[in-house]
Amino acid sequence: MTLEVCVMALGVVLMLADFWLPADRKKFAGYAAVAALAGLLFLSFGGCGCCSLSGTAFNGMFVEDGLAVFFKRFFLIAAILVLFMAVEFSDRIAGGVSEYYSLIVFALSGMLFAASANDFTMLFVSIELITITFYILTSFQRGRLVSLEAGVKYLILGALSSSFLVFGIALVWGTTGKLNFNELAAVAAQFESNKIFLIGVLFILVGLGFKIAAFPFQIWAPDVYQGAPTPTTAFLAVGSKAAGFVLLLRVLFTAVPTVTAHWANLLIVISGITILYGNLCALPQRNLKRLLGYSSIAHAGYLLLGVAALSTSGQSALLYYLAGYLFTVCAAFTVICLVTRHLDNDDLSALAGLNRRSPLLAATMTLAMVSLAGIPPLAGFFGKFLLLKSVLEQGAANPGYYCLAFTALAGVVISFYYYFGVIRAIYWSKAAADVSPISLSGPIKVALWICIAGMFWLGLFPSKALNLATEAASVFAK
Amino acid sequence: MKLEALPWIILFLPLLATAVITLFTLRCRTKSSLISISAVVAGFILSLVYIHANGWHSEHTETSRTWLSIGDLHADFGLKLDALSLMMLLIVTGVGGAIHIYSFGYMHEDKSMARFFAFLSLFTFSMLGIVLSNNFLQMFIFWELVGVSSYLLIGFWFEKPSAGDAAKKAFITNRLGDFGFLLGILMVWGLLGSLNFGVLEAVMTTNPAALGCCATLAGLLIFCGAMGKSAQFPLHVWLADAMEGPTPVSALIHAATMVAAGVYMLCRTLFLFDANALHVIAYIGGFTALLAALIAVQQNDIKRILAYSTLSQLGYMVMAVGLAGPTPAMFHLTTHAFFKALLFLGAGSVIHGLHEEQNIWKMGGLKKKMPVTFWTFILGTLALSGVPPFSGFYSKDSIFAQALHQHNYVLFTVAVLVAALTTFYMFRLFFVAFLGEPRTEQARHAHESPKVMTLPLLALAVFAVIGGFIGIAGLYGAQFHLEGESLTLAQQFLEPLHAPFALACGLGAVIIGLIAAFILYKKAATDPLPARLGWLSRAMRDRFYFDEIYQATFIRAHDFIASVCDLFDRWIVEGACIGLVRGGTDLTGRALRLAQTGNLQTYALLFALGVALVLYFALGK
Repeated sequence: MTLEVCVMALGVVLMLADFWLPADRKKFAGYAAVAALAGLLFLSFGGCGCCSLSGTAFNGMFVEDGLAVFFKRFFLIAAILVLFMAVEFSDRIAGGVSEYYSLIVFALSGMLFAASANDFTMLFVSIELITITFYILTSFQRGRLVSLEAGVKYLILGALSSSFLVFGIALVWGTTGKLNFNELAAVAAQFESNKIFLIGVLFILVGLGFKIAAFPFQIWAPDVYQGAPTPTTAFLAVGSKAAGFVLLLRVLFTAVPTVTAHWANLLIVISGITILYGNLCALPQRNLKRLLGYSSIAHAGYLLLGVAALSTSGQSALLYYLAGYLFTVCAAFTVICLVTRHLDNDDLSALAGLNRRSPLLAATMTLAMVSLAGIPPLAGFFGKFLLLKSVLEQGAANPGYYCLAFTALAGVVISFYYYFGVIRAIYWSKAAADVSPISLSGPIKVALWICIAGMFWLGLFPSKALNLATEAASVFAK
Repeated sequence: MKLEALPWIILFLPLLATAVITLFTLRCRTKSSLISISAVVAGFILSLVYIHANGWHSEHTETSRTWLSIGDLHADFGLKLDALSLMMLLIVTGVGGAIHIYSFGYMHEDKSMARFFAFLSLFTFSMLGIVLSNNFLQMFIFWELVGVSSYLLIGFWFEKPSAGDAAKKAFITNRLGDFGFLLGILMVWGLLGSLNFGVLEAVMTTNPAALGCCATLAGLLIFCGAMGKSAQFPLHVWLADAMEGPTPVSALIHAATMVAAGVYMLCRTLFLFDANALHVIAYIGGFTALLAALIAVQQNDIKRILAYSTLSQLGYMVMAVGLAGPTPAMFHLTTHAFFKALLFLGAGSVIHGLHEEQNIWKMGGLKKKMPVTFWTFILGTLALSGVPPFSGFYSKDSIFAQALHQHNYVLFTVAVLVAALTTFYMFRLFFVAFLGEPRTEQARHAHESPKVMTLPLLALAVFAVIGGFIGIAGLYGAQFHLEGESLTLAQQFLEPLHAPFALACGLGAVIIGLIAAFILYKKAATDPLPARLGWLSRAMRDRFYFDEIYQATFIRAHDFIASVCDLFDRWIVEGACIGLVRGGTDLTGRALRLAQTGNLQTYALLFALGVALVLYFALGK
């Protein structure tokens, strides 16, 4: 709990700081937030009482276990990288830069609660804390019409999905009388044939499916990704998606494991279609952020492979993949954020001649695309390898898994086309309109190097991170 | 083994230098070159420290880590540290260090000097990797890395089309040999079940017939690798063209180290070769030596003469290996590294002083203008010709003795003939370029090179003179379990007297070559040989038309196959297969995009439909 309280306090302090900080020192607030979060992250590894490894709070609503700790570190790193980006982005935000920082920190606290949620009430509250913060973060560039439009779309569709979610929770509570995951798990077997109960669980999955942008609830993602300010998009792609996944894992494997076992086919189909949908739609895309939006749908599909495998190895593969995805996506969005500083649009053409304008940015973007495409020796390759392996392991029990693995491979092959299109735009564009070098500030270089190091570390030395992921996933084995 | 970490540091220092230069200091020329130079010099010093601590023949000669292990295949990343590799270590870092320092002066005007040093360090790393490998797999990886860095360095001045072509030619020719090498490695692995040199040697010693009927084939396939790297006939064509690279590169890669890798590899794995394979190797070596010596007689480009001379000397070494004499082969490799690097650097100094003039007939009278270069060059020439007591005399004599010892009189005659030719073409070069009167304005205004270039010349010259009797042969002899006793300095000095016939023939060859060169070239204004020899001279000048023959046969056949494959790829694979799939995928992508209207009501509708779909799928049945 200490961690969540600290983060909340940090958000409040940041917001209050807005009153006293002079306008030209606002940047400083962002770096201060980064430093504070980095300190918390460090403490979480040191085990200084900030994150004791097990325990519950609020009558079992809040649980602190291996999975929660894994995701909390994940969210902290994500928030740090996003804050670096936000500082660079601050000159494009009309007013209230400190508010922007503090909203990111509030969203982070929602994610931290989500990582520990062990109760449907907690689940709903944490999801709303994240989502409502994101409504504001998405429409933060009040001067830009697309930003506002994205905010409104996200708000309305988000509200729609929340209504399904809360309705589902109500149905589950109505039939079983339980809200706590562990208590529900004990009685869920009796309700396996109760249609109302099953509809309730499905509605909850709809709400979570919206968060992770899985088919058929993916429709909002490209529009919102494109319109939102770039740091928001990055946080949405990494943090919000990961929060959706941790809750999905908790619901499926802690709350209703017996029901989940019957739904292997449903998960297989959703995962397969999500992969194909994301990759196919990304093919003709010329807008960078939109392309990454579709790509994030495809990656939700890959991550669902780990859920569909219904095994501990699948879950640990999912966690590992998320870790690689974090560094890769943050790298890509940081580059976009820096390149489009003086541009109105985020088209692929903005990248033309980037290798001459800033070799570091060009190299980072290339590595990010290569990692997303899943080519060794980068993180994306090893993650995909683990996911496919976990799916194939289940193939003996259900031939559908072989079809799923094949679909995923086809998706990967398709994705090469558009990922390498990005690389081609960087290095082999005919005419670059702007060839002025891009100057990078010190902190953003640090952020880029963290991303690059993360991609390589996870790809070259997977054992350590994989151990962490396996440890975290072992929560479900009990 | 004491100081076990040192060899690892020595190996990875140059790689670190490459990384640092490429990533950080590419814009700063001086800093980059200093990083590269200090990496290799530090490697040399650490090698000396290591040898001082462990001696040449320590008990444990291997240190390794498991690199990967898949099923039955366990690949180690290990270092082998016996006398053979330690001596090579000293050559690569020592001679390499001298050449690095020399390059600092030679490349000073070049704007891409930092890139040059990055490549040079990459090469040093790869070469050290070959030398220190304790297994075939690792050696092959570094073998290829050497190929790549050689490609990069030959094509360093890539603006010149000839440099680009030469780089490609070297790389592709090497790849041909490497293909055979890889097949040989796979065959050895398949038959003997290991790739570690130590294990292989143990297996082959206990059971010499372990390779069975494939022994000759396996040996020859492995020899293919050496054929490419050490430029043996018929893959010798790349080496002369490789002179398009900067001269220090020619000295380092195409005289002292990389081309020696083939010979080193043969000596390292000599236990794998049966008598038939060795026989083939010996004759190929002898033939290459003779062929290249003949070609060298009629070349006019100073670097090309040296290049063909290198080919010829490599032929000697390969021949010695084939005559079951790894000690003479490695001995000659070592002395050759000293004096050939010296000669190339001297040639570089001449070229530098004459503003990129390479034709010897446009030089002349350099004796007074470039005294240091002149004196060191003559020492190198004497050593290469095999004049006693210079180093080349001892190593060449041991090869003659080996041929006699094996009663192979054909190869002995060839070797003596090549020795005469060697003296002839080297003194031809020497008389024409250094003595007489300057033939052109440029030669008249030649200037001596700066200190940073002449000091490495002096250092190498010392070893070119004394290299024959400081115990190098004894080191190798102990490595290959041939001679037990260690000789004193004086005994080594007089060692050739043990084979008086070989000694007499060798000296006779030197004297004949020297006299012929003196008569023909002492006062010649133009080359008198074309008039006297007619077509033979033209054939020698045109390198016996090997390039043209290859062009007409292999390359044309290859072009034909390539164009057929191109058609197949373009119309069948790309057009029919990929085209249909791609078109279909693209169309689907565009169609799906239509659903993404941007209209909120549509989205909400689709969302609700999605919910209905999921409900139907999960509960409908």
